[in-house]
Amino acid sequence: MNLSLVDPFILAQEYPDTLTEKLQSGHASCLRFNHTGDFLASGRVDGTVVIFDIETNGVALKLQGHTRQIQSLSWSRDGRYLLTSSQDWKCILWDLKDGSRLRTVRFEAPVYIAELHPFNHLLFVASLFEDQPVLVDISSPKAIKRILPSAPLRPQAPNGEELTPEAAAKQAAQDAKHSTCVSIFTALGNHVISGTSKGWINIIETETCTTIHSSRLCNGVVILIRLSKNGKDLLINSSDRIIRTVVMPDLSQLGMGLEPANIKLQIEHKFQDVVNRLSWNHVTFSSTGEFVTATTYMNPDIYVWERSHGSLAKILEGAREELGVVEWHPTRPLVVACGLESGAIYEWFIITPQKWSALAPDFGEVEENVHQRRLDLEDEEPDVITPDPSKVDTDTDPAHAFAMPVLMDVSDSDSGEDIIAVGPGTMRRRTPGAGRDGPETEADAAPRGSGRSRRR
Amino acid sequence: MDHAHTKPRRRVSRRSPTGSSSDELAVVSNHEPAHRHRQSWSRNFTPQRPTPQKRPPSRSESPDELAVDADEYWRSSRTSRSRHSPSKRSAAPSSPGRTPSEDASNDRMSTDEGRTDNHSDPSDRLPTPAPPAEPPLPPKPDRLNYREKFVLKAHQRGVSSVQFSPDCTMIASGGADATVKVWETATGKPLYTFVGHLAGISTVAWSPDGKWVASGSDDKTIRFWSIETGRAHTKIFKGHHNYIYQIAFTPKGNMLASGSYDEAVFLWDVRRAKVMRSLPAHSDPVAGMDVVHDGTLVASCATDGLVRIWDTHTGQCLRTLVHEDNPPATFVKFSPNGKYILAWTLDGCIRLWNYVESRVIKTFQGHENKKYSISGGFGTYGPPDVKYNPPLAFAVSGSEDGAIVCWDIVTKNILQRIEGHTDVVLGVHTGQLNGKRMLVSGVNGDAAGPDSAPDSNLPPPTPVNGADGEDTTMADAPPESSVAGTPAGDVTMT
Repeated sequence: MNLSLVDPFILAQEYPDTLTEKLQSGHASCLRFNHTGDFLASGRVDGTVVIFDIETNGVALKLQGHTRQIQSLSWSRDGRYLLTSSQDWKCILWDLKDGSRLRTVRFEAPVYIAELHPFNHLLFVASLFEDQPVLVDISSPKAIKRILPSAPLRPQAPNGEELTPEAAAKQAAQDAKHSTCVSIFTALGNHVISGTSKGWINIIETETCTTIHSSRLCNGVVILIRLSKNGKDLLINSSDRIIRTVVMPDLSQLGMGLEPANIKLQIEHKFQDVVNRLSWNHVTFSSTGEFVTATTYMNPDIYVWERSHGSLAKILEGAREELGVVEWHPTRPLVVACGLESGAIYEWFIITPQKWSALAPDFGEVEENVHQRRLDLEDEEPDVITPDPSKVDTDTDPAHAFAMPVLMDVSDSDSGEDIIAVGPGTMRRRTPGAGRDGPETEADAAPRGSGRSRRR
Repeated sequence: MDHAHTKPRRRVSRRSPTGSSSDELAVVSNHEPAHRHRQSWSRNFTPQRPTPQKRPPSRSESPDELAVDADEYWRSSRTSRSRHSPSKRSAAPSSPGRTPSEDASNDRMSTDEGRTDNHSDPSDRLPTPAPPAEPPLPPKPDRLNYREKFVLKAHQRGVSSVQFSPDCTMIASGGADATVKVWETATGKPLYTFVGHLAGISTVAWSPDGKWVASGSDDKTIRFWSIETGRAHTKIFKGHHNYIYQIAFTPKGNMLASGSYDEAVFLWDVRRAKVMRSLPAHSDPVAGMDVVHDGTLVASCATDGLVRIWDTHTGQCLRTLVHEDNPPATFVKFSPNGKYILAWTLDGCIRLWNYVESRVIKTFQGHENKKYSISGGFGTYGPPDVKYNPPLAFAVSGSEDGAIVCWDIVTKNILQRIEGHTDVVLGVHTGQLNGKRMLVSGVNGDAAGPDSAPDSNLPPPTPVNGADGEDTTMADAPPESSVAGTPAGDVTMT
């Protein structure tokens, strides 16, 4: 409801400019917003998952179940379920209604990344460390794992000849060198996009677990693949120090005019720092997909490129340490990133100056200030009941159906086993005496710098 | 958009004595919108004149143009000087001219929009030619039929605030006896009594999940009471420096807004029981406050006469509304769709503001309100299966003469005047349970004697079922929580 009152110039600003907040609860190693942007899940190196309420910057929920560093987080569409993967070889699906563990899936290796199906929270895809990626169906308590291929799809031999045994053996040896580093679902969930250690991108059909397309887009390991919110663009971070954006073919047309053989992955932009040869820790799209954001190796800056021309739009500064995971709020120009050293979560946002005319109505917008003095001129027929149509839509949206419970004792439920960083690379367990009061002060938002305080 | 030009000019003329106003007259004479504006001010700023409405309808502003500006100048400078003495300022500007003006406008209201109007199809009064209403809508009911269902007596002293729970199955009430009581709506039975506050309670609010009742008290704290366990929350919300007048939850329940006599509005993080943000709200006690249905806006009003609208996320003031007479504003309420604000002022008016355009679009009169922060709200009426455009809605408010008054939003006619209470009706809240629309009201204590406090919890449920005439669906049976006791001093807005 506030949009009609907010300065349109501020609404038009698409990316943040100022470091506004620093959240800390333990040592965060990965972050992910839910789809409405109300909550930020953060996974810590000690295996705890902390969910922050973005409005209050307070801890909404703490989930304890993993014993090693959290590797990835994935929210279900309605925001009720959260899938976490960890270096302790487990994935856990949490029901946030009560913070319980709905499913726990064990693997034979540490998990790189696990992502939920966009519409089915009982199906996820996981990439494992030096192991085959798997599609995991957890609709029943006993998980059904299906192995996804890592090897790229080879073109059919033109004349249908049989390969010689030597050539086949060579191919098999080559294929074995491929291992999948990252795999995500497409927007509709009918396909999995995976990236391999040799720089190949594979498109795998979810239903059949067969590769329908492969392209080699990078010269190094594919570190991360992100999909824009509308599902039409891919963002690929590779160890060759180049971030690529790729236009996604419309895979829903498959079988209706699009043949798998005709799929083409077209690189749109390559973002790189030619001078410094920076390599990129983590990348993300902006909420609209118009911007690409990346954190840099050994460098506290966040780069923001705009995609229409592929030029650098902004460097977000202010953090005093190298940053790891960076995430963009799904609707607002808000960027969060976690510091590698301290595990703090930094927030960049737009600082809007108070419009003084808003405080003094006398000086306000003159045209609209015509008072109808005579009461008999008040002949409008206001509708005080019916909400705006746009509002109705979002309210009926299933994404709004789940309301996160407001736990009044979230800090009391903390076990006091917080691990805090006392210096570079040194951790210690929180002293028991400080444990009671700890989570509150710890999660307290501490604005950095003078004059940025939000408690005016 | 020539705001940039008009703003400074207006500022000068408003704050400077008469000399500049003649300049401006020359300037604006060839500027039509601004000129129109000027007219509106000259009519506006006659706060100490008894009857602004008595001006001739031709509204020639020439004779006392300068006088008005001088008047305004002195008044504004006086208020700015006396900013920090709220008691002196409180009811002064409004009281002298109140009664006559109210009468005058009441007359006009009834002549302009007489009862005959009510039966006309609402569509034919639309400004644009509406599509022909093929199945003619039944006429708008011209009266409501709320009847007393229960009298909930248990508070030892006056009741200042009543609220239906989100699902309307329960009612919470808070009063000068420093207790919060929770009642079952269907039976009128008391469920809980929460004791713990050290002073009278001015406001109660339900958390959106219905698990907690929060109460704000003159002991400067906000306390939470669990409906599930029947106990107090261990955390007490401390931070205000003075009485707490009004609290409201955001729809997600993660934040609570509170307005206090200490002139500030706080946004609390409910989970941590800590102040998240303090809004430098007003220069006088904050008497009323509300949060819009999507939680993005907070409205506050104070006895300095200002209604301010704040952005919840940034804590910034987005809009300030002030009526020309600047009467102390004591209560605000967002409309159910969040597009309008209803503001109560101590000149005996309730104004419906289009806050985006900073414009009053309706003025409701007919209740008495000179001293107290009286609350009220919105409700719907009419047969539920008929779709009117706009939907039939009423505004409801308590009154200092013991009545509850319901006005139609569009016509401003009084739909019902619920008599029954004998003292100031401070709290009114609307709700709907099993398709039945309800009102609950809390009343300041009167001289009925504090004897009936403990045992009269269960008055004979007067069988009502307001089923007469066209109003059958309106089985509006208001359970009233009325209370005996001495006048509760904690809710007076003086």
